[in-house]
Amino acid sequence: MNTTARARAIAAAAEPFRPLLGPTSAADLLGWLEAELGHAEALDRWVPHGSSQSKALAPATTVHVVSGNTPHAALQSLIGGLLLGSRNLVKLPRGGLLEIDEFVARLPSELQTLVETAEELPDAWLTAAEAVNVYGSDETIARLRVRAAPGKIFIGHGHKASLGIVWEDPGFASCAGAARDASRFDQQGCLSPQVFYVRETAAGFARAYAENVAAAMDQFNRTHPRGPLTVEEKAAIANLRAAYRFRAAGDLRVALWEGGSNLDWTVIYEEDAWFTASPLNRVVFVKPLPANLPEAMGPARDQVGAVGLWPCTGELADRFAALRPSRFCPLGRMQDPPWTWHNGGVARLASLVKWVDFESTSGLTG
Amino acid sequence: MPAAAPLETAVRKLIGQPESGSFDEILLLLHAFHYANNAPYRAFCQSLGVDQMVTQWREIPCVPQAAFKHADLRSFAAAETVQTFRTSGTTGEGYGQHHFRTLDIYEAAVREGWRHAGLPSGPFLVLAPHPDEAPYSSLSHMLSTLAPREAFVAPGGDIDVARLRDVSGPVCLLGTALGFLHLIEKLGGDRLALPAGSTAMETGGYKGSGRDVSRADLYAMIENKLGLASGDIINEYGMTELSSQFYARGPHGCHHGPPWARAVVVDPVTLQDVADGGTGILLLYDAANVGSVVGIQTQDLAIKRGESFELLGRNPSALPRGCSRAADEWLTR
Repeated sequence: MNTTARARAIAAAAEPFRPLLGPTSAADLLGWLEAELGHAEALDRWVPHGSSQSKALAPATTVHVVSGNTPHAALQSLIGGLLLGSRNLVKLPRGGLLEIDEFVARLPSELQTLVETAEELPDAWLTAAEAVNVYGSDETIARLRVRAAPGKIFIGHGHKASLGIVWEDPGFASCAGAARDASRFDQQGCLSPQVFYVRETAAGFARAYAENVAAAMDQFNRTHPRGPLTVEEKAAIANLRAAYRFRAAGDLRVALWEGGSNLDWTVIYEEDAWFTASPLNRVVFVKPLPANLPEAMGPARDQVGAVGLWPCTGELADRFAALRPSRFCPLGRMQDPPWTWHNGGVARLASLVKWVDFESTSGLTG
Repeated sequence: MPAAAPLETAVRKLIGQPESGSFDEILLLLHAFHYANNAPYRAFCQSLGVDQMVTQWREIPCVPQAAFKHADLRSFAAAETVQTFRTSGTTGEGYGQHHFRTLDIYEAAVREGWRHAGLPSGPFLVLAPHPDEAPYSSLSHMLSTLAPREAFVAPGGDIDVARLRDVSGPVCLLGTALGFLHLIEKLGGDRLALPAGSTAMETGGYKGSGRDVSRADLYAMIENKLGLASGDIINEYGMTELSSQFYARGPHGCHHGPPWARAVVVDPVTLQDVADGGTGILLLYDAANVGSVVGIQTQDLAIKRGESFELLGRNPSALPRGCSRAADEWLTR
């Protein structure tokens, strides 16, 4: 099966997962290959490469370690491996991952044979793999990096903190999108914003923005209820709410909006610009945009994932370049990265392949 | 309006003779006193619609533990402060402060709580800093309330193992969990069997320290290295924001408090009490907290076990903190 045939088969299998993956046509997938490898057929034949020609060599075997709370990332990782034509060994979280099972079941048998899943990670997998793609905590990544033999291609997608920046939005046009970004996937992904920084274009604007985001979070929750929580997750939200409820009682620089009867969503307005990590599950902070945002990011400065901007202009992206995210995008689009997105600043396909070059005798004069 | 001095007298009496006073009644008086004299607490109560006069002690709101970082929860004039204990603090978060108008209630709670838990009266050896070296540490003060100055065997953070080897009779070794780990590491391949009848009391967690040893593993190491039975190893659960302590025996023991303190486990969503065996957020009420607030919403999860609780610990998103960590930094200094 050549690349185009694989792309078509993958696109067909991915169709029901459009809400998770966004548009995934064969053209999208081939466009992704072309963007990263320079040519959509680089895996199938010699393609021009400077004065010579080159062919991309996919890893014979790729191990994917995926997490349960981000099924879209798991699917993206597997789709990348399949698109390259690699054999894919997928370490699933305990309890499995329904989306992966359903996707694999929709693949033609020729591609199904390229996928093996397990809930444990045998050492034999790490030995056999040419490439290892890990989604998980920083601790998990560090542990697996040690387990993987030297010389492997190892790509770890660890903890990231994403944020939104509202530069100018007098009509609160971005609030619905901001709420959607903070609510989808129950904020579990690395693209989920935890804090919205809002420029005070008028006195009290950031606080008013928080109130509008709260209304939008409530609206989103009515049509897309949050998933179940563990008792630890419930306690984390309850404790945070209690702490801010206390502060809001005696401090006008703090305000709290609590949604639903089941800890459904929470918006916290706080004048202190210090980046505050959310306990996730639809808990978001709104803060006035400080003069020095990178400084206010504190320890999270080295872990910025995506920055949602409003408006999203090149000028603003340049202004906040010091945050060094892997993506600037409009608010409302944070959870819809294109296939070509450099996740973690890495070209996801190009980083997995190796190249062989070919220089023809044709033209040689001896 | 209750005044400070009579309330302090009533609490002293409750601690000294628990059967003589009513916990419920004193807690209601303390709430009214705090409401009148503690502005951040009053604002919190008002935001929740809780009046100065409540009829049941469970109606008293629990202040989130983190509030001690952001507000001056002092129910007396600042000029009357005789001692302030601080939480260890974390980057960017600052530290919490617990102020005291008098320490004799705190110290009585430490001593009587220890006695009430049926723990040995000494002699002690302490693997933690003395208050001279850690003046803001409530843990150091608590330990110094129990043990004399000369019992502190880790001056400057360096554990004097020879002092431990010299003991001739049963001893009670007090320290942070990290202090015990340091001792075990310092022993290396050696064992240091304490005399029969000895006990150990450890306290504090590891979060933020880069260490992670389960209570069962720590106790196994203490058993192996110090020759103690697991039932002779006690965990103390306390915090800067409290004046009283809760104790559990053995690696799986449940924590019990003294008669003047109560633990309640509540559902995180409804904040109603869970049924026996249920898991939830741990709330603590401490009548010895005369100068601050009586109800604290901890950041820990617990399982309700009758009148006691099985501690599960800090929920994942809570910030690293704890006396144990402060002491660890000190010990490795």
